[in-house]
Amino acid sequence: MASPTSFQSQIYRSLPEIERADAIVDRISTAIALGLLKVGERLPPEAALSDMFGVGGATLREALNELRERGVVETRRGRSGGSFVVKQPKTQTDAMREWFLSTSVSEIRDIGDEHSAIAATTVRLACERAEAHDFERLQELARALVLADTPEVRASADSRFHVELAVAAQSPRLANAEIRLQQETVQQLWTPLAVAFDPEKATAEHLELVRAVAEDQREKAQTLVLEHIRRNIFHLIDTKLTLGYAQSNQDAQ
Amino acid sequence: MKPDHEVVHAANALTSWTSGVSAEITELARNVAALMERNLAGKPKVDSSALAGLEQLSRDFLAKNAFAVGAGTFFATQSVEEDGHALEWWSRGDSGALDKLDCDLTPGSNRYYDYEKLPFFSNAASTGEQTLWGPYLDYLGSGEYVLTFTAPFSVHGTFAGVAGCDILLRDLEPLIMPDLRGIPGDAALINASNRVILGNSGTYLVGERIKAGSSEQQRMELDVPHLGLSLIYSA
Repeated sequence: MASPTSFQSQIYRSLPEIERADAIVDRISTAIALGLLKVGERLPPEAALSDMFGVGGATLREALNELRERGVVETRRGRSGGSFVVKQPKTQTDAMREWFLSTSVSEIRDIGDEHSAIAATTVRLACERAEAHDFERLQELARALVLADTPEVRASADSRFHVELAVAAQSPRLANAEIRLQQETVQQLWTPLAVAFDPEKATAEHLELVRAVAEDQREKAQTLVLEHIRRNIFHLIDTKLTLGYAQSNQDAQ
Repeated sequence: MKPDHEVVHAANALTSWTSGVSAEITELARNVAALMERNLAGKPKVDSSALAGLEQLSRDFLAKNAFAVGAGTFFATQSVEEDGHALEWWSRGDSGALDKLDCDLTPGSNRYYDYEKLPFFSNAASTGEQTLWGPYLDYLGSGEYVLTFTAPFSVHGTFAGVAGCDILLRDLEPLIMPDLRGIPGDAALINASNRVILGNSGTYLVGERIKAGSSEQQRMELDVPHLGLSLIYSA
């Protein structure tokens, strides 16, 4: 048999147990940071979590241990027991920095490519399917971004707006794809590591987008959302270059 | 032009099915109101002890009505102690066991489920009549793609909240598609905001909105009070 192509090796690559525990810790921490899981909320029982994540009990317990050590989750015994979210994880500036250093420009561009595909269809469907109730909601959520006063709140307001567009498009699958894409990059976008990102400009873009959707201007809405994502991706790439290649920049000057 | 026999037949079947759901919701709201009148005897506002018995009403409703995935009660803020929120909504889980809907009721939080602003609540509250909202993706609530039927209820003469049920679009399809398939041409059941609930072909897809129709497109309103349902079909 010929050696597998890089695509195939991607599919069949082995899953080291330790990385899977880390991935669970990351997944749950990000969900809490974005407000998808709230403080006080009980996580599903361990057996259900193992099942859903597709990991063994030992790996899951390792992940829960780590979350407990970070003080993010607390496990209580008894009938109304279980693992509860007890606090927001610290803004993981180090984790963000690590993400920028370990993610290449081409990978960041590729995230933007996928996001563009999802968002372009989402706004087109939102134009066709949204109604007055949805426009009001979208406007309210767009304004929440400029009213937010911390990077964490900006990140969750921004992601909330984009998810609601998919809700207005009436598509559970697009909403799920949007949630996944937001989880991947929205914190990186708003954490001021190199250059701060301007909430007023992003809000103005969101509001203009809502107007285009409300007026059923499909072409315009698509152009706006693609431009919006392009700007986000440029910001991420800018941050990546500033953090990762600052030294060589200086050398060149 | 007089509609074809098949269209009339389908409209009658859909009217009869929807009226059946509507009657169940009316009864649920009446039971909720009666229970709350008893629970709130001598108490001005809903507190947690006043919710006793609502779970059983949801359970009974879901046991009787297999078409519904969830059922329960949402209270108006003004009827709850300290202007808080209260809801008792139970849904069938994957295993078939009933789970209580747990959503974020903290105003200002990122996942705040501001149910009083959702049309299944606000329409019933403002009109005082039964209402139907959906198809919609209940993102912060059940997370499912559903249709929600609700009826308002009053306690001691004052509007206190809504009671109703959710139907998954996936579950609705086998129940009403046979009626729609009885119509030879393209046809769809649409809601009060011209959104397709279900169509009998790819021409009318669930969730899409019907813009001003062609001259060929006919419309017949279904005789189910307040729900705003119509059948559209090509002449």
